[in-house]
Amino acid sequence: MTTDATERRASTPRGRGSLLALPALAPVLAVLVLGLGSAVLQSVGLMPLAGQPAFTTSAYSALASPAVADGMRISLAIAAASTAIAVVLGLTAALLVHRIAPRRGFLALLAAATVPVPHLVGAIATGLLLSDSGLVSRLLGADPTTFPQLIAGPWWVGVVAEYAWKESAFVALVVLVSLSQRERELSEAAAVLGASAWERFRRVTLPLASPALVVSATLSAAYVVGSYEVSWLLGRSYPEPLPVLAYRLFTDVDLDTRPEAMAVAVLTVGVAGAIALVGTVMLRRTAAAR
Amino acid sequence: MTAVAAPPSPRIDTAVARPSRSRVGTVVRSAASAALGVWWLAPLVPMLLWAFADRWTFPDRLPRQWGLDGWRAAFEAGAGSAMASSLAVAVVVAVIATPLGAMAARALETHDIRHGRLVGVLLVLPVAVPPFAVVLGLTSVTLRWGIPGSVALITALVAFSLPYTVSVMRAAYAAHDLTMEEQARTLGASPRSTLWRVHLPMVAPSLVMSAFLAFLVAWSDYLMTLVLGAGRVTTLAQLLGSSASSSGHDSSVAVIAALIVAPPLVLLAAIHLSIRRTAQR
Repeated sequence: MTTDATERRASTPRGRGSLLALPALAPVLAVLVLGLGSAVLQSVGLMPLAGQPAFTTSAYSALASPAVADGMRISLAIAAASTAIAVVLGLTAALLVHRIAPRRGFLALLAAATVPVPHLVGAIATGLLLSDSGLVSRLLGADPTTFPQLIAGPWWVGVVAEYAWKESAFVALVVLVSLSQRERELSEAAAVLGASAWERFRRVTLPLASPALVVSATLSAAYVVGSYEVSWLLGRSYPEPLPVLAYRLFTDVDLDTRPEAMAVAVLTVGVAGAIALVGTVMLRRTAAAR
Repeated sequence: MTAVAAPPSPRIDTAVARPSRSRVGTVVRSAASAALGVWWLAPLVPMLLWAFADRWTFPDRLPRQWGLDGWRAAFEAGAGSAMASSLAVAVVVAVIATPLGAMAARALETHDIRHGRLVGVLLVLPVAVPPFAVVLGLTSVTLRWGIPGSVALITALVAFSLPYTVSVMRAAYAAHDLTMEEQARTLGASPRSTLWRVHLPMVAPSLVMSAFLAFLVAWSDYLMTLVLGAGRVTTLAQLLGSSASSSGHDSSVAVIAALIVAPPLVLLAAIHLSIRRTAQR
């Protein structure tokens, strides 16, 4: 904050500023507090669909089941794999666009056009591309019975590919914005001082890009852990990633599964929150290292 | 002679070595750019082919018969009214979330508000919270209190759009020059005309970008609409989800998917062109 900003802040009355922020705070707080509060209350039996409220932790004991543990594992694995691919590809694309010319406008344009594509559409497009009768299989002239099961297969290739596809575009755009003219100048200075290409990347480019990388990777991973439609369309029936498991329990005709659905939802919020927290700590560290 | 026999300076050496190294580099970079181009374009190719394929049996590499059967089937399945619903929801969300985000951003950037940091964190918090968990809980409350599903849906979508509108507008107000507004006031402009003729035109590009992002959050949503709309709000995404999981009629599914992808891309292109044109003026 500059002194100029401090002065102009001090000149405006406090009450008016808070009033300006209130209309935005209201829906955010209402939705988060009511939504998460009700999920927690339902998970501990204090907001039953029928009957008297009675506190119980049975839904949380049910979380020890293998279905939840496997769901948690697959959710984290999908998030880790797709985020890792997205970071590598997104950073590569950002560096290509930022640094050197060949068709850079084209690449930036493609990344900007990929980000607004909804995941639901991405999932369907990925299915049409990678399924055993999809375009890749057709182009290779593959036998559908021996074509690797990329969609709904044991390795979740389609799910990871879809998330990595869209998140890599997101990472590329965020990193590109952060790599300003300064990176080019510092990199050139380092080159004049005799730094090799690898040294320049390691000591100039990466440190300048890392806050943007950490932020975009964190947002991607937290999003993937809490996202439903891609795993629902392209995943297998077991193990179910946490959101898919929660939604299936939520829509079960047996209403007794409701508390467990809410417990899985609360668990997912915890996992996403933990990812956000790790990201914040990492961001502090990269910022401190600079 | 001795001067000629002197070893060339390292400077000349690198200058000679450079072209060949950078030629290899150019090839590598071009290949990497092309590979990334394929990576981002590939999934959309079969979607576009299917949208115009009347007959495309396995193992044909290209559709055997081109046509618009998929479009007819998609509109018979209700793509027209679904598009109207999607537009209505997304426009309402953008119209609400943009001014709310702008006001909050203005408060955070130019006023000394109480607990400003906390307010800033709370307003971006929704990006780290899985929307499905929130709406699974929220729907029980709205049913219990008799709140209409559409109201709950719009509120939830606004809440999940605000992190984007607030962030974009905070960046705008951080770079905003307040002295222009002060000068207008000094010269006798009313607060209202200062707002409409000085303040808002200055942040207009960011307002447009905020509105686009809020529109996109609502336009792309699947699960929040499914749960809070309880099957009564049929947006394009709902139609796509239900037809993808049931019919298996690939060409109409591809058409609905294309109908979802096109409007945001057209909007984005229009925004970029108009911003560039205003910047040139």
